[in-house]
Amino acid sequence: MTAAEVNSSEAKISPPSRSTTGSANVTKRLQTELMTLMMSSTPGISAFPNDENLLQWTATIDGPDGTPYAGLSFKLSFEFPSTYPLTAPTVLFKTPIYHPNIDFSGRICLDILKDKWSAIYNVQSVLLSLQSLLGEPNNSSPLNGQAAELWDKDPVEYKRLVLARHREDEETGLGL
Amino acid sequence: MGSSTYIAEEELAHLQKLSGEYQPEVTGPLVGERQSSSAITTEYANADPVYRTKTAALPSKYSHYRTCRGDGHCGWRAIAFTYYEALLRLGDKNRFLEEETRLRSLHNLLNTIGFQEHLYEDFADECFELLRKTAASVPAADESAAASLLVSFNDEALSMAIITYFKLLTSAWIQTHANDFQPFLLDQDIREYCATQIEPSICEIDHVGMSALAEVLVKPAGFALEVLYLDRSPGEEINTYHFDPLGHDGLPIPNPPMLRLLYRPGHYDILYKMEDIHIPQAAPIHVALAGYADEFVPVGRGMSDVMTLIPGMYPTGLGQNWPAVSYDYQPTAIPQPQMAAVPTYAPVPVSTTQDYVSHVNPTIPVESPIGMSINSPMTIERGGPFRPSMYELEPGFHSGQSHSLPFQTSIFRNSHYNTAHFLNPDFQPEEWTPDSEYVTSNRSRNKSSSQ
Repeated sequence: MTAAEVNSSEAKISPPSRSTTGSANVTKRLQTELMTLMMSSTPGISAFPNDENLLQWTATIDGPDGTPYAGLSFKLSFEFPSTYPLTAPTVLFKTPIYHPNIDFSGRICLDILKDKWSAIYNVQSVLLSLQSLLGEPNNSSPLNGQAAELWDKDPVEYKRLVLARHREDEETGLGL
Repeated sequence: MGSSTYIAEEELAHLQKLSGEYQPEVTGPLVGERQSSSAITTEYANADPVYRTKTAALPSKYSHYRTCRGDGHCGWRAIAFTYYEALLRLGDKNRFLEEETRLRSLHNLLNTIGFQEHLYEDFADECFELLRKTAASVPAADESAAASLLVSFNDEALSMAIITYFKLLTSAWIQTHANDFQPFLLDQDIREYCATQIEPSICEIDHVGMSALAEVLVKPAGFALEVLYLDRSPGEEINTYHFDPLGHDGLPIPNPPMLRLLYRPGHYDILYKMEDIHIPQAAPIHVALAGYADEFVPVGRGMSDVMTLIPGMYPTGLGQNWPAVSYDYQPTAIPQPQMAAVPTYAPVPVSTTQDYVSHVNPTIPVESPIGMSINSPMTIERGGPFRPSMYELEPGFHSGQSHSLPFQTSIFRNSHYNTAHFLNPDFQPEEWTPDSEYVTSNRSRNKSSSQ
């Protein structure tokens, strides 16, 4: 917080001046997250803002070894609301993926991106959660029922469908 | 055909998304203005009889309340707000600094359980900044400081930041005191519990969370937390749960500043007693007692000695005063009025008999409901041994305590067993028969109905 902001908040606190502080906090928070991500360089995940807009990021995760997604890499888009980190970012798979909890438009069903979102999560923890979701799908509430069924029943067919759907350079039809 | 199925799926997914994102519209300020709690009674006037009964007595004990917006954060917000408010009420700038230092030291806990500092420092800074701002407003007039705090808490970003910070502290406390909390979580993993029930941005406080928040935030600050559970459980009283702070010696801190919440299934609001609002002063109580003493004197003079010896006579006057007193000033002040009553009363030239009778009577609340039942239903609520309840017994109990010593005189004991006393077999039937009661307390009844 700058000195000017401190002064203005001491003089008279009104909600409008606070909400500008709020969006300043988003920027500050995302900058810190970016720094931490780049410094720590966790293997298998990466993320970077698009162009100049700090509120939109593109991320990649590598399919974990020992899963049908091993050796594949997936692009994702992050869109941060102005209320971040109190509100979850919108996360989509841009690379087509065959998975019980991800629909054909790349939308993800994961509790921490919905009602269990916590301000303590960040880009890194979301990516790590998604990476583990690839190897441990939640088959009790699938978006892709066929995938949920095949996961246990027919791993060979599952793997074939994963590979068939995966196209490195193509993006899903949502086009956002 | 394939494409139409796809569209239907799209549509379903879209609807699913909409319904997932749907939130019922909530209105009202995040934290409302303080208002008279009789509004709660009015709200339930046409409700279930259980609610009606329970809320009827509420305003006499808790004079004011404050609404919190029912947006799923109200319990957290109510505690956070009352925490700041209680600090402000203490009026000691140093306490704010002490609290900031104490909370900073808790960051060790946050780090211990793996929260990264850059993920919580913004929320902590918002919390500390408001502590400092409120501290700076302490020397100002009381009302403007309180108003400024209210404005701050109605800023969604700020109050959410503070709530988030307190949630993280709570989570860290639970995880670092797993032995204390695991029994309440049955087989649930404590880390998973915190991740799903404490840390999420949208999750209301539950009882385990409230206990932990009381441990980490409220009690170490020297505050007590009191929660009134207004539900349809049987009984005439609102169930109350206390979280009481312990001092350094491990003993309960006497008369700690109280944070009071009213819980209605799914929602928390903030309650106040009159003593929470005004800094306790002797003056208003004295005014009330002057009335009581003045009223007593003519009664004592106007009656024969035998009449004043009847215990039922005096409490009639007293009993009428008490409801008024407890509406305006809370009964915790009872020891003071009783002490004040002695000097007020002493200069009045009365016989010794009258003197000790006047002191005796408060210890014999049995007579009060009998004398009063016809005139004023409020004295029935005041109760006495016939309808015992925590709330009703409290005033009588305290006054009995504080007076037990001076009354252990031989004169007092004699009066206990004389014919005028209710324990006396000759006297008791007289008091219980409406006719004879009418005769004996005729005078004072007239007085009371004129009041």
